[in-house]
Amino acid sequence: MSKELTPDEALDKINFTPKSGNWMDTTPSVQIKPGMYCYAAKADSVKTLGLPNARPWNPLEEDWKLPENWQEILHQGIKERLEKFRTFKIFMDVCVRCGACADKCHFFLGTGDPKNMPVLRAELLRSVYRNDFTTAGKILSKIPGGSRLGGGRPLTMEVLKELWYYFFQCTECRRCSVFCPYGIDTAEITIMARELFNLVGLNIDWIATPVSNCFKTGNHLGIQPHAFKDMLDFFVEDIEEITGVDCTPEYQKKGADILFITPSGDVFADPGTYTCQGYLMLFKYLKDKYGLDVTWSTYASEGGNFGFFTSHETMKRLNAKMYAEAKRLGVKWILGGECGHMWRVIHQYMDTMNGPADFLEVPVNPITGTVFENARSTKMVHITEFTADLIKHNKLELDKSRNSNRVITYHDSCNTSRGMGLLDEPRYVINNVCDNFYEMPSNTIREQTFCCGSGSGLNAGENMELRMAGALPRANAVKYVHEKFGVNTLGTVCAIDRAALSTLCEYWVPEVEVYGIHELVGNALILPGEIKRTQDLRMEPLPGMEEE
Amino acid sequence: MNIKQTLKENKSLFLKKWFQATIETYPKDSARILGKDANRFDNPVGAITRESLENILDLITDKYSEESLEKALDPIIRIRAVQAFNASEAVSFVFALKKIGQGILDDSHQRQFDPMVDQIALASFNKFMKCKEEIFLLKATESKRRVHRAFERAGLVAELKENDLLGSKKS
Ligand code: SF4
Ligand code: SF4
Repeated sequence: MSKELTPDEALDKINFTPKSGNWMDTTPSVQIKPGMYCYAAKADSVKTLGLPNARPWNPLEEDWKLPENWQEILHQGIKERLEKFRTFKIFMDVCVRCGACADKCHFFLGTGDPKNMPVLRAELLRSVYRNDFTTAGKILSKIPGGSRLGGGRPLTMEVLKELWYYFFQCTECRRCSVFCPYGIDTAEITIMARELFNLVGLNIDWIATPVSNCFKTGNHLGIQPHAFKDMLDFFVEDIEEITGVDCTPEYQKKGADILFITPSGDVFADPGTYTCQGYLMLFKYLKDKYGLDVTWSTYASEGGNFGFFTSHETMKRLNAKMYAEAKRLGVKWILGGECGHMWRVIHQYMDTMNGPADFLEVPVNPITGTVFENARSTKMVHITEFTADLIKHNKLELDKSRNSNRVITYHDSCNTSRGMGLLDEPRYVINNVCDNFYEMPSNTIREQTFCCGSGSGLNAGENMELRMAGALPRANAVKYVHEKFGVNTLGTVCAIDRAALSTLCEYWVPEVEVYGIHELVGNALILPGEIKRTQDLRMEPLPGMEEE
Repeated sequence: MNIKQTLKENKSLFLKKWFQATIETYPKDSARILGKDANRFDNPVGAITRESLENILDLITDKYSEESLEKALDPIIRIRAVQAFNASEAVSFVFALKKIGQGILDDSHQRQFDPMVDQIALASFNKFMKCKEEIFLLKATESKRRVHRAFERAGLVAELKENDLLGSKKS
């Protein structure tokens, strides 16, 4: 750490002030490169959501098929948002280009592309703002070469393409904001930019189609209620084979204590499926021991919210259904599964969008009496907070030795750590179900955690090079604890991480496997009436049972 | 002195110049940051690039094979294979060694050194292709495997074996 540079040292030679004239020329005018961009939104998905300009288009083609008055639409869109969101206006105005954020973004560190420095990413949009919305910019734009002098530039097609390319190379992770002396949150700027793109039909498909699926069928994958139930039935069979205990859950049970909602990735995609089995086992345990009544819903079958990556309005529409279902069933409060961005939506936006949810009760753990003060208004509790509370009050019987073959480190999801401050609960749970826990270096965890490189709807296949480059800073730290401590397990409380980090590990550190925290809880939890266990939830032999 | 001894003696000079040349393959403003000797977790590209180059230099002053060269090249090429370089840009840093040699070695040593650089270059092409193949495989199979396999285990889709999608690579 002694060699760590102060921002001033690191950036001594770089001038981030646009007035110096050449910051926009750090790379040639935008070239949209294969492997670094995502495919365009399908027209059908855009149409389903009633969003503008549904049509087939291709980012690599010259003509993006925009409405004729696209500049006017975007100008008006920026204007409205500057009036509506004070943060946006402030973030456009106050950057002093100190450069403290420049080398803090995983995409800059991984791709080496200067326009992925947060300060320059924001400057791409700020230059348009300066040209069109500041007095100086307006005056300067009237003299030849004047805009450039003031660091402004008109919104041309070339500029729009550049904005699109780089705002879909930001995972809205907020790491840069931790280092900015003014608290400028480039993620918020990206959120605005993406809203603006949607006004003229420039979304990517990996976001638009899940949102459209969720709007129609209730989850991102577009899986219908009967298939949702079939999957859980299948998990129940597997758990019974492993433990001898029937963990059949309740569905849509009116008057249950708690409605449980998790990202659909836990139900439909490996390795989240094993985490999902952990939830089922926990609820069975709590029902048998303490009579806790938890219900699932095949309608509110998605905790995630890719609407968040589209626009505030879209996020609100998807978020509303969780609360509608809780109201319909008459539960007391909502328990949410292991997810990242789902929690940022709930923690930061839900209350002003769809809240207060005052038809629900302030969440209290009926088994321990703990009041979840942080969820007083949103009425929604993260399952690791809930489980940590149960463990703290000695309410779970756990056999750590069943996880003794796991040497584990923990990846803080950007959204749970920087978005809601969930830092210690997952670690507390891990330490109670596992013996071998090792932290990654301090400048890569907790508030300073490095993104998986695939957040905010960028976990598509076609941009794999971008994802793997963005994943490098995270992978580099995982590799370090793998080599130093023999870490073979990367724990996480985020559904996108479970998928994205698995791919990250395959490319960068193939010896490490990704686990959800409740998969480890499921392995350790001693269910009432269980048979002697010989297998873990992946149906691999438990430690010491390899020979039997 | 034979070529290997000469290389060994001049290793730090070679490393310094080679590292500089490699970092300069990035755009100027990025190179200034990535070239800093910062904490390895704050600047992974810089740290890994430096380590890889050093390992390669150590290797060629000793015994080496195509296999050991590829292994030493893995960390740096693995990074460059996912950055926005085309194939020739990704491996161009190897060729910089010839020019660096010209400023340090005498003619007879340079004549022995050039074929060694060629060997490093050939190994780097191999490694680059292997990394790209891994990326293409991840692209082609990632979502099918994660979602499809879960459905398959549950018996909700017709049998399509994981290996049919994958070849032999584990998930
Ligand atoms: S929010 Fe994250 S991805 Fe976006 S610019 Fe900041 S550090 Fe980079
Ligand atoms: S740290 Fe803040 S003030 Fe400094 S350049 Fe970055 S955004 Fe601007």
